[in-house]
Amino acid sequence: MEEQPRKPHRAKQAGPKAEKKQRKNSEKNNPKAFALNSGVKAFKNAMRNADIEQKRLHVPLVDRTPDEAPPTMVAVVGPPGCGKTTLIRSLVKRYTKYNLNEIKGPITVVSGKKKRLTFMECANDINSMIDIAKVADLVLLLIDADFGFEMETFEFLNILQVHGFPKIMGVLTHLDKFKNNKKLRNTKKQLKHRFWTEIYQGAKLFYLSGIINGKYPKNEVMNLSRFISVMKFRPLIWRNTHPYVLCDRAEDLTDPELIHKNPKCDRDVTLYGYMRGTNLKPNMKVHIPGSGDHWISDISLLPDPCPLPDKVKKSLNDKQKLIYAPMSDVGGILYDKDAVYINVTGNFNKDNNDEEKTEGEKLVIDLQDAQDTLADKIEKSELQLFKNSAPLKATDLKTLSGKDVSYTEEIDENGNIRRKAVFGDENEDEESDEDDENEENEEDEEDEEDDDDEEDDEDEEDEDEEMEDEDSSSKRRRRKAFEKYDNEEQNDEDIAFAESDSDLGDEDEDDDDENGELNWKIGMAERAAANFKDVKRKKNLMQIVYDGTDSEEEESESEEEDNGDDDELFVKVKPQKKVSKDIMDTSKLIVLNDELEDWSDEDMIESLRYRFITGDGNNKNNNEGGDDEEVYGDFEDLETGEVVKGENGEEGNDNENENEEGDDGLTEEERLARKKEELKKKFDAEYDGEEEENDNFYEEIKSGINKQLELNRAEFEEDDPETRAKIEGYRPGQYVRILIKNLPCEFIEHFDPTYPVIIGGLLSTEEAFGFIQVRIKRHRWHQKILKTNDPLIFSLGWRRFQSIPIYSLNIDGTRNRMLKYTPEHMHCLAQFYGPITQPNTGFCAFRSMTETTQAFRIAATGVVLDINQSTEIVKKLKLTGVPFKIFKNTAFIRNMFNSSLEVAKFEGVAIRTVSGIRGQIKKHLPKPDGAFRATFEDKILMSDIVFLRAWYPVRPKKFYNPVTSLLLSEKTSWQGMKTVSEIRRLNKLPIPMNPDSSYKTIVRPTRRFNPLKIPKALQQELPFASKPKVLKKQKKPSLMARRAVVLEPKEKKIYTLMQQINTLKHEKDKKRKLKTQERKEVYLKKQAKEEKIKEEKQSKKRKEIYRAEGKKRAREEAGDSGRYKKRH
Amino acid sequence: MSGSNYIKFSGHQFITQRLVLSTLTGKPIKIDKIRSEEDNPGLQEHEAAFLHLLEQVTNGSSFDINYSGTSLIYKPGIISGGKINFDCGNSRAIGYFLEPLIVLAPFAKNPINITLHGITNDNLDTSVDLIRTVLLPQLKRFGIESGIELKIVKRGAPPNGGGEVKFNCPIVKQLKPVQYIDEGKIKRIRGIAYATRVSPQMANRVTEVARSQLTHYIPDVYIYTDVYKGAESGNSPGYGLSLVAETTTGALLSAECCFEKQTSNENNESEKPVIFNFETPEDLGKQALKYLLTEIRKGGSVDTLSQWINIILMVLTPEDVSKIRISKLTKVSIQLLRDIRSFFGITYKIKPDPENQTVLLTCVGSGFTNTNKKFT
Repeated sequence: MEEQPRKPHRAKQAGPKAEKKQRKNSEKNNPKAFALNSGVKAFKNAMRNADIEQKRLHVPLVDRTPDEAPPTMVAVVGPPGCGKTTLIRSLVKRYTKYNLNEIKGPITVVSGKKKRLTFMECANDINSMIDIAKVADLVLLLIDADFGFEMETFEFLNILQVHGFPKIMGVLTHLDKFKNNKKLRNTKKQLKHRFWTEIYQGAKLFYLSGIINGKYPKNEVMNLSRFISVMKFRPLIWRNTHPYVLCDRAEDLTDPELIHKNPKCDRDVTLYGYMRGTNLKPNMKVHIPGSGDHWISDISLLPDPCPLPDKVKKSLNDKQKLIYAPMSDVGGILYDKDAVYINVTGNFNKDNNDEEKTEGEKLVIDLQDAQDTLADKIEKSELQLFKNSAPLKATDLKTLSGKDVSYTEEIDENGNIRRKAVFGDENEDEESDEDDENEENEEDEEDEEDDDDEEDDEDEEDEDEEMEDEDSSSKRRRRKAFEKYDNEEQNDEDIAFAESDSDLGDEDEDDDDENGELNWKIGMAERAAANFKDVKRKKNLMQIVYDGTDSEEEESESEEEDNGDDDELFVKVKPQKKVSKDIMDTSKLIVLNDELEDWSDEDMIESLRYRFITGDGNNKNNNEGGDDEEVYGDFEDLETGEVVKGENGEEGNDNENENEEGDDGLTEEERLARKKEELKKKFDAEYDGEEEENDNFYEEIKSGINKQLELNRAEFEEDDPETRAKIEGYRPGQYVRILIKNLPCEFIEHFDPTYPVIIGGLLSTEEAFGFIQVRIKRHRWHQKILKTNDPLIFSLGWRRFQSIPIYSLNIDGTRNRMLKYTPEHMHCLAQFYGPITQPNTGFCAFRSMTETTQAFRIAATGVVLDINQSTEIVKKLKLTGVPFKIFKNTAFIRNMFNSSLEVAKFEGVAIRTVSGIRGQIKKHLPKPDGAFRATFEDKILMSDIVFLRAWYPVRPKKFYNPVTSLLLSEKTSWQGMKTVSEIRRLNKLPIPMNPDSSYKTIVRPTRRFNPLKIPKALQQELPFASKPKVLKKQKKPSLMARRAVVLEPKEKKIYTLMQQINTLKHEKDKKRKLKTQERKEVYLKKQAKEEKIKEEKQSKKRKEIYRAEGKKRAREEAGDSGRYKKRH
Repeated sequence: MSGSNYIKFSGHQFITQRLVLSTLTGKPIKIDKIRSEEDNPGLQEHEAAFLHLLEQVTNGSSFDINYSGTSLIYKPGIISGGKINFDCGNSRAIGYFLEPLIVLAPFAKNPINITLHGITNDNLDTSVDLIRTVLLPQLKRFGIESGIELKIVKRGAPPNGGGEVKFNCPIVKQLKPVQYIDEGKIKRIRGIAYATRVSPQMANRVTEVARSQLTHYIPDVYIYTDVYKGAESGNSPGYGLSLVAETTTGALLSAECCFEKQTSNENNESEKPVIFNFETPEDLGKQALKYLLTEIRKGGSVDTLSQWINIILMVLTPEDVSKIRISKLTKVSIQLLRDIRSFFGITYKIKPDPENQTVLLTCVGSGFTNTNKKFT
């Protein structure tokens, strides 16, 4: 890693390069001389630039990765023996200086200031390849250059393609096996080009030469790590809509007693990992590929075990280079199923701090460090109620215990006097446990104080209220949402609000005034202002809504009603017809007449003016208070001026206070600036906005997405994590612990960390099942075509499951016709029963998951088109019948239907004879049953068969069988439903044959027709042209046959000559043929000789190769038992 | 685990919203104790009719109602849509059926084209006028823009109805998140005063009262009088007024009131309370006006009437933040929020805004997409 000092660059002083540079400069210096002189060229140039610009664009996708992103998931994939483990070891060593012994499960390392990586090795098993393909952000695809590409590589690439195609980097290993440099070069080139055709032209392919000390060369690994660090990721649609966790740890939480009683009992398991994808909602259903669907019983946030460094100057120091791999043996800690083992080398002493300790050792030392007893700790525990207050110690409480409740006063920096409530009667333990809660309560109380402070300035009784609140603060929940809402119906102490003091004041009897001091009230308004926007406030209403049980439902009702009268001016009348309202189930809010405010009052009417554009002022408050008076001051003075004014004035004060708090942060300048900005925006939108929109549609969408993301981020920033989790769910990047109850015991018993455990969140719609219509194509490398009703294993969404598809083809745009087999080189449709998945999701299918075949295992790939609860596949059905009576164009047909009812259903349907005469079913006949009358376009024959073309619906079987590979001890041997042919083969059953279906040669007797005889009388009358002209056979030979031919002498001469020439030619040909044959024989002999030599050579060579291979295998088997066997 | 797959509810209330949520999410529900303690136990006519409507709108859904009708198991299918003709009966107004349908329709497989027969306006359910003028325009904010239409072919006043409306709705892949917290100021007021089988003068008289008061605030007040005659006028006489105030930001605040006949048949009286008693059309106009003014006073960018539709649709948006401002939560909305939590696992952030006594509702969408829509 030590960087060698590089030679500084020296610019060429002479030679072609230097000249080139000069030329460039001259271009710059004299632009006129190089001005374009060809319009075509300029046009082409502009075209090219535009093309490049367009090519750059992609459909803008929302990138939901948060600021603190989860570790990038780097999957290391390749056939066995190609160096996956070595690569991970090298990379981990590069990042953390840590030598990994064994690699089990995900390994998370901090790779940079703001980047973490999770490495995961993919076992050579189709199940884990599928699972890994669904979660990997970056795939390091290892290829043994010595061997070349293996089937697994291509299978994995195809799986990747259908599941979103994450980024891929190829890594060629075993390059040191090549002795011949030229061969190495050629192989590299060959592999590279094959790799490119598979991914894209120019895909990055790395070359790792040899192994030094069990690792790849340092600089090569560093190079690779650099490429990993600069990798950019485009969000994948599935992962951008689903939350998921790649578990890096699993613990069995089942009660050991239960397991002891029944070792096969269902287990409660906690799984740990980083949240990825989108937010995980608390009660989401999840799918664990290889196990099935489960409900999350509990999620909790854990502190990040591998956090990003807080402050980094330039590069990470060693302490910040963390590694987290709970299932691999790292840091001396081994997380087993039910225990944590800590490896300690030799003996160690906690006092010698100079030695560097592993994480495990530190844990043990921490345990040893516990000196105090629990009681002591309680004694020492502190509670700080307010930020600025001195911490309250548990020991202090004892002194105060004589008094029930007391409060102390404190003046903080701002000069505000704050009350500190001291709970004398509270249990000490509780307090130390629940100090957080108490703090919350405190804050709540303050809010309440704020609410009423203005009104009760003159009122002393509210103090009692306050005290009362404090008393009950630990017991009750706060429910109030708004200030000034009085609650007349419920005056019990438990829900007595401070704000309802005016009503409650008289009834107070619990607490007496402890002292009449009102000092603490000083500065209350300011405090109210400061606390007004307190986060805790909103809890009230949320609690009402969400923590509501039946009893609270009523409360919320009353509350909701209370909300209505927000002004003390109007006296609320209790609703008496409430019963009737409850009975009716309507979305409309029925407000009864007497609940309405009195709108006949002039002031009342006026007070609403601020809500109209005709009323001025910026907000309601100003209007209600000052502005209204300005506009309509005179008017009010005349009529009810004083009363109204008084009240308005008061309100105005309130509102002014609120105002201050509302726009506190803004000074006059800022406000002006904001106004200006808004105006400018308006102007822009009006004048040059439209053009821009048209111009840059892409940018517009992009900025829209960003704006929304910004909003998402900003909205919950101020909320506490619990509320955030409740509203937003668990965000990606957080480390969570997920408790899943009732997992099958095999999950734990056969848990193997080398197989990925993924928790994939399911959207609310994805829990249901239905018929899925997909567009499917048999993979061109798969050797067999697929048969309808043969079970097929699909990898769709998170799930891997077996189902029974029916293939079909949409023939004429109206109906889907069933196909018995998939077309050879064409897409077709398939329908099967399975979990509802969003249309446009890709999938791949397999015939079996076991490794018995050497051939390409991906049987088909495709995409989901449609979800439905019924299917519309049909197959052809021909009903046949025969005529039993024929009139002119009418015939009676039987043997097509069994009853007249059936006929009735088909009345008016088109029928046809084999000879092509079309007809229609008319009506059933009384006898025989099922016979009917039909008309045809022509007279049909008795020998004609009449048929009716119909369509018969075919329904896929409702079969869904999740691949539970994780529950097996032998993960690769999952056996699903067998195909019919497999069962036949196993049981040695013959294929049943319908004798009718077999083709036989059709024997047709030749038809003989009698000669046509025309009566003589008729013949005579016929015109000559129509008369049969049958001639008798000539008995004598004709003249031509009888005559003798005598040649002329010249003719004779020619004839002889021709004969002679021909004889000569024939002789010559014969000779030539013989010669060629001879030559050919010689040649063949020679050829055979050569062939023999070649064959000998080849067999020798083959023998050598096989021997070497055998040796290699023997070595592997003897050596590393952790390796997987190569498939054969 | 598989046995307890049902989401369980009890009571007859909020039955439509629960069925709608169930249909949207595909989660089966079980509702028991439907009026089990009452003299007339079990599902009532309108509820049964709503189930029938659901059956027509969906494909593959199954209802399992016990003998007494007090418990219902609903396994939803997919929303198929298409052309439907449905008679709502006279027990409840069309609004009772149409409102839930508005939420379902955008997520159907085929664009929905439904004709509903029944009572178009009554005081219990949202009238078709307000659905047309208030609810449907709000769908635009969620990205359901073109092709949504509600046509009132015939008016049907209670008790005998006879009205007919045609509702068309396009389908969408996904909704858009909304940020709509600016309530703005009222710039115009529109209204519809209808009269059917009564003297057209009634509508004019209603209009007169409302307009005279409203012009006090703003000059841009226009109230259409919509008089139905002959075949279009349904089976019963009636008149009413619906008012919509539109603000500068496009918020719609609405109120309505319609005439009700006092003497309805006996058994109906317990179910359908007569809420108002109007002597003259002027009284009705005043009442509607009062409602509108109360609504205006309450504020919010989303009025009380359209709270629930906004609350449901916000949950169905992509996983982005949506935000609206409402005046106060109604009982229906509160229950809806709870039901949404049990169906979607989504909790709203409910924050009262003390400045103008409104409530801000914020939620992160569930990432709902229309899985029913075909991919080509």
